[in-house]
Amino acid sequence: MDITAPTIILTLVWGVAIGCVYILLATGLNLIFGVMKLVNFAHGQLLMLSAFLTWTISVASGMNAYLAIIVSMIVVALLGVGVERLTFRRVLGTDKLNEIFVSLGLIYIFENAAMLIWGPQPKQIVSPFSGMSLALPGVSITYDRIIAVVVVVAALAAFGVLIKKTKIGLAMRATSQRNTTAMLMGINVEKIYMITFAIGAALAAVAGGLYGIIFSFDYQVGAMPTIIAFAIIIMGGLGSIKGAIVGGLLYGIAEQLATLFLGGIWGSAVAFALLIVVLVIRPNGIFGEKGE
Amino acid sequence: MQKKMLLALVVVVIVVVSAVAAIQLMPKPASPEARNIKIGLVAPVSGSPIGQDMERAARMAVDEINNAGGIYVSAWNTKVNITIVVADTVNDAPGNAVTPVTRAVETDGVDLLIGGYGSAGTLANEIVAIENRVPYIIAGASNELVTRRGPQGNYGGLGAQGTYSISDEEGMSYVFHYCTTTLDYSKTVVQFFANEMKPLVAEDRDFRLALLYRNDAFGTGVAQATKFWIENLSLPITIVADRSYETTTTNYQTDLTAVKSTNPDAVFVVDNPDKTPLIIKQGWNEVGLKSVYIAVENNQDPAFYTLLGETGSGQLLESKLDPFMSPSYLPAVEEYSEKFLELYDVYPGMMGADTYDAFYVAKDAIERAGTLDKAEVRTAIENTDLPQMLIMTESGRIRFSTGINYHEISPVTFIEQLYWDNTSNALKSRIVWSPFSPGGMELKQADFALPTGYQAGSP
Amino acid sequence: MTLKQQLTKLVRSKSFLFMIAVFAVLALLPIFISDNFFLTVLTLITIFSIYAASWNFLANSGQGSLGHALFLGVGGFASAIIGSSIATATANLLGSTQLPVGALSVTIQILSLLLGGLLSAGIGLLIGLACVRLKAWYLAMVTFGFSVIAATLSSQFDAITQGINGFPTTTLVTRGFPFYILVLSFAIVSIAAMYIITKSRMGMAFKAIHGNEPEAKMIGINTAKYKLIAFVISTFFAGIAGGLYAYFIRLIDNSVFSPLNSFTPLIMTVIGGLGTVVGPIIGTVFLVSIQQLLALPSVVDSLRASLGPLFPEVSNVGAPLGFLIIGIILLVIVIFLPKGLVSLPQKSKTMMPRIQKLVKRISSKFKRKKPK
Repeated sequence: MDITAPTIILTLVWGVAIGCVYILLATGLNLIFGVMKLVNFAHGQLLMLSAFLTWTISVASGMNAYLAIIVSMIVVALLGVGVERLTFRRVLGTDKLNEIFVSLGLIYIFENAAMLIWGPQPKQIVSPFSGMSLALPGVSITYDRIIAVVVVVAALAAFGVLIKKTKIGLAMRATSQRNTTAMLMGINVEKIYMITFAIGAALAAVAGGLYGIIFSFDYQVGAMPTIIAFAIIIMGGLGSIKGAIVGGLLYGIAEQLATLFLGGIWGSAVAFALLIVVLVIRPNGIFGEKGE
Repeated sequence: MQKKMLLALVVVVIVVVSAVAAIQLMPKPASPEARNIKIGLVAPVSGSPIGQDMERAARMAVDEINNAGGIYVSAWNTKVNITIVVADTVNDAPGNAVTPVTRAVETDGVDLLIGGYGSAGTLANEIVAIENRVPYIIAGASNELVTRRGPQGNYGGLGAQGTYSISDEEGMSYVFHYCTTTLDYSKTVVQFFANEMKPLVAEDRDFRLALLYRNDAFGTGVAQATKFWIENLSLPITIVADRSYETTTTNYQTDLTAVKSTNPDAVFVVDNPDKTPLIIKQGWNEVGLKSVYIAVENNQDPAFYTLLGETGSGQLLESKLDPFMSPSYLPAVEEYSEKFLELYDVYPGMMGADTYDAFYVAKDAIERAGTLDKAEVRTAIENTDLPQMLIMTESGRIRFSTGINYHEISPVTFIEQLYWDNTSNALKSRIVWSPFSPGGMELKQADFALPTGYQAGSP
Repeated sequence: MTLKQQLTKLVRSKSFLFMIAVFAVLALLPIFISDNFFLTVLTLITIFSIYAASWNFLANSGQGSLGHALFLGVGGFASAIIGSSIATATANLLGSTQLPVGALSVTIQILSLLLGGLLSAGIGLLIGLACVRLKAWYLAMVTFGFSVIAATLSSQFDAITQGINGFPTTTLVTRGFPFYILVLSFAIVSIAAMYIITKSRMGMAFKAIHGNEPEAKMIGINTAKYKLIAFVISTFFAGIAGGLYAYFIRLIDNSVFSPLNSFTPLIMTVIGGLGTVVGPIIGTVFLVSIQQLLALPSVVDSLRASLGPLFPEVSNVGAPLGFLIIGIILLVIVIFLPKGLVSLPQKSKTMMPRIQKLVKRISSKFKRKKPK
């Protein structure tokens, strides 16, 4: 097979498009880490639950899939609040390993609860634009993918405004820098944690709805995106938003170039090899600060 | 005196003979040993939609058999019911597939095993059946190795493909393969391309076929078998792309872009009903690989049709059973489908149908054996000669082969073309080609036509 | 402390005696219960005890691995391949195609398991070198990444590993009771070895690193060296467990590298009691028992009848329900019983007065209401 320049350019385009989907998930994870210094490995399971919820809402009520995502977003955000209160808050500040254990427990619970409710059948959310695509020279892009990119950019912009321009954002930033000082300054840290987790869960929910429209999904779908999102933010440095975007694009492109030149089975192996190399050279990621 | 003696003798003889006759004519009581027949269902019941389909089909068959009075076991002189013992292999990985079968065989004492979906899991758990000499009708795993592997007790060092050995005839003789093998359906696919599609698109050159498959036992098995048949039958087909991908991925654009750059006439996609539609949709709608895509029979599942939707119009599916047709090519299949729909509120898939048939094969064998002795049941299964049921066979009868195709049936496979049905607003299929005509029956329902927008390959 | 003193202390310690008792019971159990399936489950539990203990050993040094399945797989593939090729070669030397099960084959079995463990430890050394500077999530992710890469590599070298179709193991020790005894002996030696190391000076260093790495460094502990040693030892025993597992399931394929196999030892350890000797064993018994119990035909049938109508989308409620219960138990234990099931008797002692107080308060409330 001869690989031509257009093929490589297309591959880079796919890499960017794929990276975009994961950036949204990664941002939520990253926010939670930035503010709470906590990693929720069960983040992808919120994506999975949101995909199922969006599917159920749009099938049961005949609602437009994109509107259904908003409903699902609210439900998942509330769920996130519950999860934070009942589980993570209780292990915060103890051994770091406990976060891994709690996350694993949550993964088992979410996946199997979803399996009991929705069964093992794969599903896909039908959007009003399914099957339609915009034809460009040499390639065509589905409307759903274009909407996904727009939604991701909009969500990230709204998120940026929230963090930079609002009072809550200020409080969140203060908490992320030094939570004891923030507490002394009269910030209700527990409330900030709650809001942070809710926003993180909501971002995962949006990602889940988009995922369910673009791809098909079942109860096990959360695992892979979480791992990829983790790899992305770890590469970029935990807590660094800039790093998450660079990491996301880097991951997407590395995976797709490996797929092109070595074959699809090498995709994530090469992406993880890249992750390992980055971490061995810089143990706190590309943009990570020297911690603790 | 002598006369009296003679008379007495005659009387005695008459009495004895009539007594014996009376005893003979009296209904024999059922043996106190009589009990239900325990059949182990080996399937990923809780982890996969296909395992679920197999379980539903099994329950349907068992309820039918039990409601009709059960199975007559002559050794006990009574009819007994079947009890299903579920051996749930969860995700069918060998680590999960062995323990439930061990339990079913060694603790629950099943008389027979039916099922076995994933090839790797089945290759692992069939050894339990072989070691315990329990007949195992495999109705799912398509890897032909399951009935053609090394000596019993020592399975190390299998030969390369094509040099299978069945050394321990007794051990392997307990395993039966009631489904198509990768060799069966790859053959039909390449024959279709060479005989039916090549004249339409590549009259004066080799047909350009691209292979895109999941990197597991199933995907690589089909890819190997495809190449084997092209060479073995010396077909005018060139493999222009040979790409496999991780089973966990959902992004196929780059692989498809690479496939597109090789200008194929058709793309052979080997994956399950949850992923195959994604590949076809990403290929056709996003990468712009406007080709003919062909999927294999494990995609004969409601999920495949709903996930693929309108994009699937004009694409191909190799199959051996289509439960979604009305009127159907085979009335039995339509009946099965309707009954299944009524019972479970969903359409059946293809895998469950093999399991359904296998229960009837087991019933027939046990009745002929007249006992639950495993060796005799095994021999009875080997001598099965039933008319075909849901799965059509070349001869129209269910028989297990001997020789290199050890203990396999010879199922009829065909190629279907999908079309969008505007009245029901759903994707449907019809048979466009088959190398077989079971019992002189013409399977073809429509002519194969290139999908609208199709772009032929070029060297 | 001299080695002799250490050993005497060890032998006299309570948990050591408890361990001996557990193993004695385990060895004798199959004699009383002739059920083959019970033996199968017991063998599985024993194999996973080694695996969970190896994970626990690494966690003791402050390193939480999320990719231990890599070592289970490497050990499994290596000892399956080594065992099968040595057996074939020996059989050929003896002029036959198959090696009869006997003293020779048992030796080959043990040799193949040790070699599998060594190979796993060798790879563990390389990966440990990459990991010594990493902490918490970074380490978890990198170990996870390595197990993903291993799965791909194994399918790439399919000609050797046969990982796609699965590599069938050669029977070198008769299945059933003899194999169980082999597994049990390996378990006793492995777990005792890990225990002795944990109680030694080296173990103290691991503990110090786990407690506070910079502090450990300050008091002069070569943290990188000790972390690496912990990695190598842990992966050696994980490899041994992998070898036993391969022979146990009769066929090893790439699915051995699945994330679930990486999570299992962690869950077993945490449920039983992180950092203790008996914890991983209790956790393993607990986890395997729940899963096997919920898979029993009688349980499956009664669940179908009772919960089936509630969950019409699922054919066998038992398996997902089992995982769900495990998830809930894990959460409850991490939050309320951080030292695992092992600490339950102790915890219940301290909890008892509080519960009694609560009961008293409630009952007194009821009493007050009654006269009216």
